[in-house]
Parts: sequence; C-alpha cells; structure tokens
Amino acid sequence: MAILEVNHIQKSFGGTAVLKDISFSLEKGQVLSIIGSSGSGKTTLLRCLNFLETAESGTIRVNGKTLFDGENHKQLSDGEIRKNRLHFGLVFQSFNLFPQYTVLENVMLAPKLMKKAPAAQLEQRALQLIEKVGLSNRVNNYPCQLSGGQQQRVAIARALALEPDILCFDEPTSALDPELTGEVLRVIRGLKNADRTIIIVTHEMEFARSISDRVIFMADGVIEEEGTPEQVFGNPQSAKTRQFLSSSLEHF
Amino acid sequence: METFLQQFPIVFQALNVGFLQTLRLFGVTLLGAIPLGLIIMFGSMSRFKPLSVLTNLFVWVIRGTPLMIQLLIIYYFPGLVLHVTFWAKGESGRFAASAVAFIINYACYFSEIYRGGIQSIPVGQWEAGQVLGMTRGQIFFRVILLQVVKRIVPPMGNEIITLVKDTALARIIALQEIIWAGTAFLKGSQGISGQVWPLFFTAIYYLVFSGILTLLLGWVEKKMDYFRG
Ligand SMILES: Nc1ncnc2c1ncn2[C@@H]1O[C@H](COP(=O)(O)OP(=O)(O)OP(=O)(O)O)[C@@H](O)[C@H]1O
Ligand SMILES: [Mg+2]
Repeated sequence: MAILEVNHIQKSFGGTAVLKDISFSLEKGQVLSIIGSSGSGKTTLLRCLNFLETAESGTIRVNGKTLFDGENHKQLSDGEIRKNRLHFGLVFQSFNLFPQYTVLENVMLAPKLMKKAPAAQLEQRALQLIEKVGLSNRVNNYPCQLSGGQQQRVAIARALALEPDILCFDEPTSALDPELTGEVLRVIRGLKNADRTIIIVTHEMEFARSISDRVIFMADGVIEEEGTPEQVFGNPQSAKTRQFLSSSLEHF
Repeated sequence: METFLQQFPIVFQALNVGFLQTLRLFGVTLLGAIPLGLIIMFGSMSRFKPLSVLTNLFVWVIRGTPLMIQLLIIYYFPGLVLHVTFWAKGESGRFAASAVAFIINYACYFSEIYRGGIQSIPVGQWEAGQVLGMTRGQIFFRVILLQVVKRIVPPMGNEIITLVKDTALARIIALQEIIWAGTAFLKGSQGISGQVWPLFFTAIYYLVFSGILTLLLGWVEKKMDYFRG
C-alpha cells in the first residue's frame, strides 16, 4: 500500500489557481523528485502537504489515514493539525535554523518540547543524527558559525529528529554556493540508502535523475508528466517536458 | 572661593534630593511602560479591526503631541474642567500625575519598537517551528522572543537615554526633580540666591547617569552577541 496518497488537491491565491487537481502516490522507501519551471507550484504543493497552506479541496492520506479532506478541514483543531504535520518533515531552501540555539539545541528543541522521551535519551539520539550528517565536531556551534552547507545538514538532522514518515525538501541546495551542494546531496543520498521516504523539489537534474524512483514534472499547477527517471528524462512524452529539460540542460 | 566651598554641601544635598525624584520617575516609567507597551502592541496588531484602529489612533495622538502638553492635561484636566480632585495635594499628587503621563507616553513609543521587532523576524522562523509541531506559544517564547529582544535593545536604549533627560519636563507641573532643585538657588533657597552654577551642575548628574546606562545597555548587547538573528 502506498505510504502517501494525494488526490485532487487544488489551491489558489486570490483567485489565481496555483495547484489544479494534483494527484499522485508514493510507496514507502521511495524517492520522488518534483521538477518544473519557476512558479509552477512546487513549493505550494510541499507547503500544502506540511499544512503551512490549506488546500481548498482534495485529500491527503498517509498510511491509509486521511489527514486532510477539503470537505471538512475547517473542523480540525490546532492540535490535530499539529499532529498531522508530524507525518511530514520539511527542509527549507533557506535552512531556517534557530539562530540562538546551538546545533545540538536546534535538533533537540522540538522533541524536548514534545517530551518524546527522557532528555538524556533525546540527546543521545540527537547526537547520532548529527553524526549521521557529519557534524559531530560542530555540536556546540551556533548557526552563524557554520557554512550554508553545514546549516542545511543541521536542518536535515532537525527534521529527522521527529521521525517523520515522509521527509520533504524544497530546493535544499538552491541557496548554496556550488561547491557546497555536494555535501548536502550526499546526506540526502545517505537517507535514501537508509530507506527513508523522500519528496524533493530540485533544480539539480543530474541528482534527480540518479536518486529518484519517481519523477513528477509540474507545469502551471498541473502534473504534466510522471514516471520513472528513465521515462521522464530519457523519453519524455510531453512537449513541455522536453522543452523544460532542454532549457535546463543548457545551464550546464 | 570660600563661599563656593560653603555653598557646595548645601547645594549638593539639595540636588541629591532632586535627583532622587528624577530617578524615581525614571524607574517607575520604565516599570510601567515596558509591560503597558506590550499590551498596546497586542491591541494595535489585533485582528479585531475596531480595537486595532482605536489603538493606532491613540498611539498616533500620543506620539504626535508634546509630552509637556500631555503632562499639563493629565495634571490639570480633572480639577479645572471636571471639577474633581483626582490628584493628591502636593508632591505626591504631582509625582503620580507625572508617572501616569510618562508611562502612557513611553508605552506608545515602546509598543511601536516591539511591533517593528516582531515584524522583522522572518516568517521562516515561525514556519520552521510549525513544521516541527510546535504550538504558537512555544514558537513565540522559545524561538521568536529572544531574537526580538536582541533586535530591540538598541532602539530601546535610545528611548531609555531620552527618558533620562525627558524627566526634566515634569518641572512644568512643579515636580521637584533635579532641575527644579537647581533653579531654586537662582531665586533663593537655604540662604543661597542668584547662583547659576548649581543649575549647570545638574548636567553632571545627567551625564553620569546616562553614561552608566550606556555601559549597561552595551553590556546587554554584548551578552547577545553570540548569535546573529
Ligand atoms: N502566499 C502567496 N500568495 C500569493 N501568491 C502566491 C503565494 N505563494 C505562491 N504564490 C504564487 O503561486 C505560484 C506558484 O508558486 P510556487 O512558489 O509554488 O512556485 P515554485 O514552483 O515553487 O517556483 P520556484 O521554482 O520559483 O520556487 C507563483 O505564481 C507564486 O507567485
Ligand atoms: Mg519554490
């Protein structure tokens, strides 16, 4: 059974439809890449999944449980929305670490507030995650003492600390200098090898092609094309996809 | 020279008494205006339109008129217009009226500083907290607040230094603060008259006090240097 089923999601801002009837599903342990030109609605889709935006209609189901139903969303309490969010993690383009906390404190803050486990146990777990993203020697540093790539790796550890079912990345390397993207992409690759379920919005075509199990190409708020990386990159059916791929390859 | 040495202890004593009143007004204003400013900020940012409009109108009036006029109105209005004795007779009544005027006036300025501070925090900080399942209260108190404090310390410092000197305005309703004490020796008090140096001497009190505050504020700023946010 699919871990995530998204059906007929619609979202508009001030009368302009940004997501028009988005449906897809994702199997546990798979990596889904979402590509598409600027303004096609990729970020908005991730934000709807994380309940930072409220879709107008459609459903979102995780592990067969309906988290969102456009029909009766208004009745959900703040607490329920917060609980639903925990199925997803989100890593932002701009990291959004908490500047006044150290690396360790950033990773531990939310689990500690949630009293997920005794503090000592949470700390041990946080240290493991920090090691996994390769920052054991930076545990007590503040975000301003880290490079962009290191900050993004902390953000990944912070998202993992809540053990989300599905981890979403919104252009995790777009704010980084080219020489720093590699370290972040390596961490994401490591997560795939650990069988995490991942949705990643990215402009790194080579990376998307090599890491993904599924690829979605979005254009103007619809899923224009969907398939395996071989299908979407190797043999695109839609003219829009072909045009997008050829123009984004010109950059390299 | 001889007379100066004789006069000095008398003047020093009188100025100390006046300065104590200045300090008291300063302290009470800070104690009242810092929390009241927070309440006014919540009012002005309220999603309930009538409340925010009314609060913003109030802030506009208070910030748009001289504190001296506000002092006069608060002190004289109840008695002269409404014919009620609102303020106690003598120094205690004058102090209470001064404190009320200063607290209201400074709370309005503080509220604007708080508001600017909160609005300057990137939404990404709220969203990062939300995505991590934190409640709005947790995000505000554990993530946002300290960043706001860091950002508002410099503008609050400016206001606080201004307040030190503004306390002299309370002389308009004859509060016996340090300038009042200094001018007393012009007209004649305790056997000393026609002396202008005590008045100039008050400047040293202000200088020393605002110097200490500047050091203190610098220390607070330094305390929060460890993060950039
Ligand atoms: N809060 C908002 N209010 C109004 N319009 C919005 C809002 N958020 C996004 N939009 C609009 O929705 C459209 C899709 O935006 P979105 O950020 O989802 O695109 P994207 O695919 O992530 O683009 P990019 O590759 O540039 O990040 C854009 O036209 C954008 O202007
Ligand atoms: Mg985007």
